[in-house]
Amino acid sequence: MGLLQKFTRKSSPKQSGSGSNYAYVTARVRAMKSNLLPRETYPRLMNMGIDEITRFIGESQYKQDVDELARTYDGVDLFEHALNRNLAVTFTKLINISEGELNYLISEYLRKYDIWSIKTILRGKYCDASVEEINDSIVSAGQLSYPFLSSLSEKESYESIIDALSGTDYYPTLKGYDGTNLSEIENQLDKMYYTGLSTTVDNPKSNDSKLFSKFIRTEIDIKNLSTLFRLKNAGVEKDEIADLILEGGLHLSIKEIEKLLPLPFSEFVQSLEKYPYWENISGIVKTEMDSLVELETQLTKSNIKSASSFSHVYPLSIVPIMDYILNKTNEVRNLRIILRGKAADLDEEIIRNQLVI
Amino acid sequence: MVDAAAAVVYMDPAGLKAIGAGLAVGLTGLASGIAERDIGSAAIGAMAENESLFGKGLILTVIPETIVIFGLVVALLIS
Repeated sequence: MGLLQKFTRKSSPKQSGSGSNYAYVTARVRAMKSNLLPRETYPRLMNMGIDEITRFIGESQYKQDVDELARTYDGVDLFEHALNRNLAVTFTKLINISEGELNYLISEYLRKYDIWSIKTILRGKYCDASVEEINDSIVSAGQLSYPFLSSLSEKESYESIIDALSGTDYYPTLKGYDGTNLSEIENQLDKMYYTGLSTTVDNPKSNDSKLFSKFIRTEIDIKNLSTLFRLKNAGVEKDEIADLILEGGLHLSIKEIEKLLPLPFSEFVQSLEKYPYWENISGIVKTEMDSLVELETQLTKSNIKSASSFSHVYPLSIVPIMDYILNKTNEVRNLRIILRGKAADLDEEIIRNQLVI
Repeated sequence: MVDAAAAVVYMDPAGLKAIGAGLAVGLTGLASGIAERDIGSAAIGAMAENESLFGKGLILTVIPETIVIFGLVVALLIS
């Protein structure tokens, strides 16, 4: 299938989105987006008790997932699993309904979840979690199917898991895992994901690859910014930060980040003024910051906002689909925060700060 | 060459009219088909998620039919 797609892309590179069914997918995705919870729902959910929230979710678009999982789980866990399952089903649907270049771009983007699941399995094995516990945390929204991933988690040792992945692109990175350097391998996997994405759209020919590339590079910028903020705030040495920086940002290239690295926190904040992201964060950033929650929420919010305004500029392109993926992920994240927060009796103000609405 | 020139001279005007009418309907039919392709697939996509969009989808899908109707009118005027 991949070979066929490569062939079709090569044979007509000038034609935008060769072999892709944009009209179908974007219309369907827009209809799916209209099923997402409207933003007025969140304040209402905040005022509800946990029983009311569970009933609300049980009656919404997550009904089927809740019903099917209700035999195995109960309480907050049930909803966590239902949300994860719904996310996996929705994203797999996106891969299934798209064709051609579009399919290729979406599947490349959703590799994020493959990496997530591989990390989950390795982490689970690292701390001797049971097979059920690992299976519960897998989100099979990418190309690797749930049966395959659960067969991995059934394996006894990490060596056999890595052997089973020998045919995939992750193998060269995973080979370096020796049972102790898990966090290093995790970072490498994440880096590999973003480098892979940037090479996918290295020389964007069609309009869609260009849009996709802009989207990815903005995401890399935002990731780098929050890494910088977190580590700078914690006073980590610049060499350690440099290891964690991703290449290929749109406004913050690796050279510019290298200039920012040696600066102390207050100067670092000031030097951000010349970048377009400053507009969104200027009200929150101070020279002394205790909590970065608000800042990160704001960055995510601005990313979602720019995606949805772009989706109106390019109605028949990859942008509305990326916009949907972002919004859906965010909805699941918000619901999970509310549920978990309420279950842990957190203060309403703390939960509200974490939400991205 | 002589034969061809003779053929042009003896070509029946009614036949030319028929060809013109045929082209008018045929080409506009193809054009509506091309226009409806994307609208139709988008309508199906939207309907797959939300069945209540059937009516709207159907109407939007058949709007390019006007092109072929104009073609038909032209064909009728010619013949």
